[in-house]
Amino acid sequence: MYGAGPIADSLYPISLIVNGKMVQSDVPAKLRLLDFLRNDLNLTGAKEVCGEGECGACTVIMDGKTVNSCLILAVEANGSSLTTIEGLSNGEMLNKMQKAFVDHHSVQCGYCIPGMVLSGEQIIKDHAHPDRNTIREDLSGNICRCTGYQKIVDAIEFAAEKHR
Amino acid sequence: MKYFCPNSIDELHKFLKTIRGLSMSILAGGTDLMPRWEQNKRLMPDVLIDIKKMGELFGIRENENEIIIGALTTIQDIKKSKLIYNEFSSLSEAARQFAGVQIRHRATIGGNICNASPAGDLLPGLYAHHAEIQLIGPNGHRLIPVSDFIVGPGKTVMEPEEIVSEIHLPRKGEKSLFYKLGLRRSMAIAVVNFAVVYNTNPDNSFTSLNITAGAVAPTIVFLKSFSDAIMNGVPLDEAIRFVEKDISPINDIRATANYRRTVLKNVLKYTFRHELADAHEEYEEK
Repeated sequence: MYGAGPIADSLYPISLIVNGKMVQSDVPAKLRLLDFLRNDLNLTGAKEVCGEGECGACTVIMDGKTVNSCLILAVEANGSSLTTIEGLSNGEMLNKMQKAFVDHHSVQCGYCIPGMVLSGEQIIKDHAHPDRNTIREDLSGNICRCTGYQKIVDAIEFAAEKHR
Repeated sequence: MKYFCPNSIDELHKFLKTIRGLSMSILAGGTDLMPRWEQNKRLMPDVLIDIKKMGELFGIRENENEIIIGALTTIQDIKKSKLIYNEFSSLSEAARQFAGVQIRHRATIGGNICNASPAGDLLPGLYAHHAEIQLIGPNGHRLIPVSDFIVGPGKTVMEPEEIVSEIHLPRKGEKSLFYKLGLRRSMAIAVVNFAVVYNTNPDNSFTSLNITAGAVAPTIVFLKSFSDAIMNGVPLDEAIRFVEKDISPINDIRATANYRRTVLKNVLKYTFRHELADAHEEYEEK
């Protein structure tokens, strides 16, 4: 971890709902939500790339809003309800957004895709008929290093119309 | 690091008395603190106080004379607010151009002010609209103009036991705009940004004009020499030179001082010629 400071690291009890299931744990104050999800809950869909909120690879949905899990402490998530990419599908059944990404060949290396899909979910929640500019604007917190944006925008546009 | 999450201002003040001598940070959205700690873990405080459970610090309300924004109101809530869009469009536009959706869902107006970045996106609009910051401390509250609250990069006059509780915006029926030049269209820290707050006569000439610029000095600055020149009828091409009187830009990773100087003048000229064309033409004719 981050090394002992002048104050010993206490553990703090947290309870939250992750993908519909109640989770309880004791965590140090310094633990990031991203590390809690990946290491403690084994939910490795959220990825770390920049670690400072620029890239969106660690995006999760917290109380109905997309957030960067690298910029949130696990203790701050106490009492919240989280959806990670693992929570979208129903077993093997992909949800509409995930299916649109597959059907539009939106995935290249795939590293950014969990974040892109969750931001796509936020876009169709926020806008009834998002045009491509709106989709691009609202996707600006997610970076695709393969630069495959066209097909990602295609997928979200398609899912948005299907959403109606 | 210890963590404490008070439910009220009373609880906060009681707790603060128990941790004297320890380093502490107030945590709101965390979008500035977390990256700072990620780069240097030693900046983490002994005690972290998360104020997000303090319900009295959320929300936007109005009375006859002011719009009052709770310090914990998120940038996304400001972006979505009709009231702010209608009456303080520079703030609405700054919120629209602020980072990306995920950051806007967490980042707060109080945090943006306390971070006191020379390039903070909400700040030019807050300065130009003469916003006042309400601070709450153990001995009650006080209200200070934002331009007195921020005294340098990352520096404010807030006492250790105070927090920002509200932002007061006087309703003067002014029009305003915000401009930001970044190295990309979003998720960018401004190379320069500015706000123009103005009112016009029925014939469209200016009755008031406040122009503030960011990322060109240690704090946001009023471009008073320039706005005075415009108000006094100095032609734009001449008046624009006065911009330099109020700024002191530096070279940094995003741009050189010279570029900042040049681009600020160019974009201001463009803005007065096109966006504010009506008001400007009137004064040219005078």
